[in-house]
Amino acid sequence: MPDRPTRIDLIRNIERALRDESLQRQMGKAMPASRKARADAAAELPEWESLRSAAAEIKDHVLANLESYLGQLESQVRALGGVVHWASDAAEARVIITDLARSRGVRRIVKSKSMTTEEIFLNPALESAGASVVETDLGEYVVQLAGERPSHLIAPVVHKPTGEISDLFVKKLGVPRYERPEDLARVAREVLRAEFLAAEMGITGVNFAIAETGTLVIVENEGNARLTTARPRIHVAVMGIEKVLPRLADLSVFLRILARSGTGQRSSVYVSLLTGRRRVGETDGPEELHLVILDNGRRRLLADPDLRGALRCIRCGACQNECPVYQHAGGHAYGSVYAGPIGAVLTPAYEGLEQARDLPFASTLCRACADVCPVKIDLPGMLVELRARAVRTGLAPRRDRMLVGAWTFFTRSPARFVLAGSLGRLAQRLLARGGKIERLPYPLSGWTAHRTAPLLASRPFRKRWKPPQEGPQ
Amino acid sequence: MNREALFIERAGQVGVTVIAVGTLDEAVERAVELCRERRVQRAALWDAPEMAPIRAGLRAEGVEILDPRGSFETLAHAEIGITGADWGVAETGTIVLASGPGQPQAASLLPPLHLAVLRADRIVPDLATLLELCGPLPSALVFITGPSRSADIGLVPVLGAHGPTAVTVLLVAG
Amino acid sequence: MKPVALFVTCLVDQLYPHVGEAAVRVLERAGCTVAFPEEQTCCGQAAFNNGFQEEARVLARRFLDVFAHAPAIVAPSGSCADMVREWYPRLFRDTPALGDLARSIASRTYELSEYLVRVLGTTDLGARFPATVTYHPSCHGLRGLGLREEPLGLLRAVRDLRLVELPDAEQCCGFGGFFSIKFAALSGAMLSAKLDTIEASGAEVVTATDVSCLMHISGGLSRRGSRVRAMHLAEILAGS
Repeated sequence: MPDRPTRIDLIRNIERALRDESLQRQMGKAMPASRKARADAAAELPEWESLRSAAAEIKDHVLANLESYLGQLESQVRALGGVVHWASDAAEARVIITDLARSRGVRRIVKSKSMTTEEIFLNPALESAGASVVETDLGEYVVQLAGERPSHLIAPVVHKPTGEISDLFVKKLGVPRYERPEDLARVAREVLRAEFLAAEMGITGVNFAIAETGTLVIVENEGNARLTTARPRIHVAVMGIEKVLPRLADLSVFLRILARSGTGQRSSVYVSLLTGRRRVGETDGPEELHLVILDNGRRRLLADPDLRGALRCIRCGACQNECPVYQHAGGHAYGSVYAGPIGAVLTPAYEGLEQARDLPFASTLCRACADVCPVKIDLPGMLVELRARAVRTGLAPRRDRMLVGAWTFFTRSPARFVLAGSLGRLAQRLLARGGKIERLPYPLSGWTAHRTAPLLASRPFRKRWKPPQEGPQ
Repeated sequence: MNREALFIERAGQVGVTVIAVGTLDEAVERAVELCRERRVQRAALWDAPEMAPIRAGLRAEGVEILDPRGSFETLAHAEIGITGADWGVAETGTIVLASGPGQPQAASLLPPLHLAVLRADRIVPDLATLLELCGPLPSALVFITGPSRSADIGLVPVLGAHGPTAVTVLLVAG
Repeated sequence: MKPVALFVTCLVDQLYPHVGEAAVRVLERAGCTVAFPEEQTCCGQAAFNNGFQEEARVLARRFLDVFAHAPAIVAPSGSCADMVREWYPRLFRDTPALGDLARSIASRTYELSEYLVRVLGTTDLGARFPATVTYHPSCHGLRGLGLREEPLGLLRAVRDLRLVELPDAEQCCGFGGFFSIKFAALSGAMLSAKLDTIEASGAEVVTATDVSCLMHISGGLSRRGSRVRAMHLAEILAGS
């Protein structure tokens, strides 16, 4: 289950998504709204560009000194009475967390939204260990009830129209059919409030971990992460190694760009700075604090100079909102935890290019993602690099080799280029009907599936070109 | 625009009601009024010196004051949570709450209404300033910017997803 | 007279030679002497974007040789200019001598409207074009070269031209080179959204700085039976 043996069939997934009218409607509404919210929020700050540069610099500094900051974080968390666990991969992380649950007799677990725990397929493992796990972010709760996976970094259920959620609640919760989002949210709140009160363990992700103070920072809008960390006796926080920041002072840059990039808010509703476990005299906060620090392919990425920058990612979702491919494909088409431009980089990097070979190609390289990324990840450059690796390792499909092979053969010299034109004009006589080409043969048939093909000119530019007369007139 | 005015504007933009008052006595009056309007029967109050007059005022109104050191289950029955706020951040309209003994997170989280008492001289211009000033960190330092919200379902913003539906700040002149 | 070398681009050369001729007229009208180095073929972007970097490098090598001594290289394409500017230096980063040449050539390569406005400081070329026109900012010109106001300024100066705004103008049209064949349905869906906005703009003509996007857009307009025509910016600027 956790390890993916098969290739992600992105092209077929996208074609299926394009036929899903409700998905197209939903995404066509959500993505432009998210883009506008981000653009407005960024435009409000004259220092936006310098914030992006500062954030990128801090992240690069962390990545260049990662082990030392992680060591500092570990000793600070320990000094505060927390336990630090190192997980080299998903399987190790699952064992660590399920062992914690089992050894402490935990039956009920609440979780707040965390992509990192999605990455390690945690929920099924905990359920096999005999604990119930409930996702408490409203969107994640819907996704869990539906037996799906989140389709967006911060809007997990953006793909689902309200009507489907109404039906789902009737079916799974046995409540009357509510149509209005506020009623559905109220139903979920009541169910989940009871879960919070009963839970013995709360599992969260971590947006930022401060090495200097051992502080775990969690950013959210709903309050479910606060409940998850304030009420249960045990808090397990799961973070990727790249989430560490050197100093508390570094946080302001990131909090400012994260909320504005993700949702267009000036600040998310709740930012919790959690420093250690419950202290003497306190009545909430966890008695036990565990921090699981996960590698799962990140150190390999760190050692890869062309792709290392992807570890700057703060999971804001802006590249997804901005990406026209993501908007039409939806998150699920990417067949993995991370979708959109950042997913097209991370999935091949973490799970192998062989399985995810199509992902880096699913982009027009329009660079909208690079323009909005708050930590200036060179996503188009990374996609281009992964494409080159796919070609170098023989993963390019035959059609690509044919097209590019023909193209480079005929553009290698002016003579060949002229010859190509002549051959093309001959072929064109057979293909054109009434001065138009509406059907081209393989491998160009994809073009005419959606558009009329252009005609070659009767004489190319180079044959029409007359150099200007030399000398005085 | 000065810090205080900016705080009021920005907090208002995220749905926080800011009531500016001249004195702590006035704050007590407004807190009592608010509880009366909302027919509050149970309130969760932080244990803090500035809360004492509010506690007395509410008791006189017949409001049951829940022990802030009580269990989550108990505090979940409060219709209002009344807390202090250690800082305000003007740029974002944020209030900052440090938890501690007698000052549980539950009070700002479980009840449908959160009322926070903030002194105007505790408003800082921005996050960067706050992080410089906030000193040794408590077990939980929480930045609150508006009522709990979610737009997960149908992209429609809903307030009170898990936490309070409404946040009111009593801003006491410095 | 400013001497410039025209990089006409492979698509213009074979499919749209009149765009190349229009670009020459426009440059000459702006006071340039235009040379056309006949050894040129293609910048290699089609191979490069598809991951075939070795093949791209061969074509890029040719480009570097052909244009090594050109004082300024002007292309009627934001995408090809961006290929030279953004990617050539990276393509040759492991071979210092070629890397230097690539950077030097990158610094001398311009898209047409960019060259006219930023380098020559011209916006009014005395053109006349009586039609309602909307402008689609091609991604590589827009986000690669940062061209926002340049093409619009040139269009505003054209007599009798009524410029109308394109809704969601900065959204990609979905061309993306071989992407349009590989992800044909997706490219078609992106195109369809672009065509909807073009038709909604009320324009008779949609223009852009790239024939590649325009080939895709005009192919879509033709398939739809739309009356809107797609024309390269140079054709409009050459109008009189």
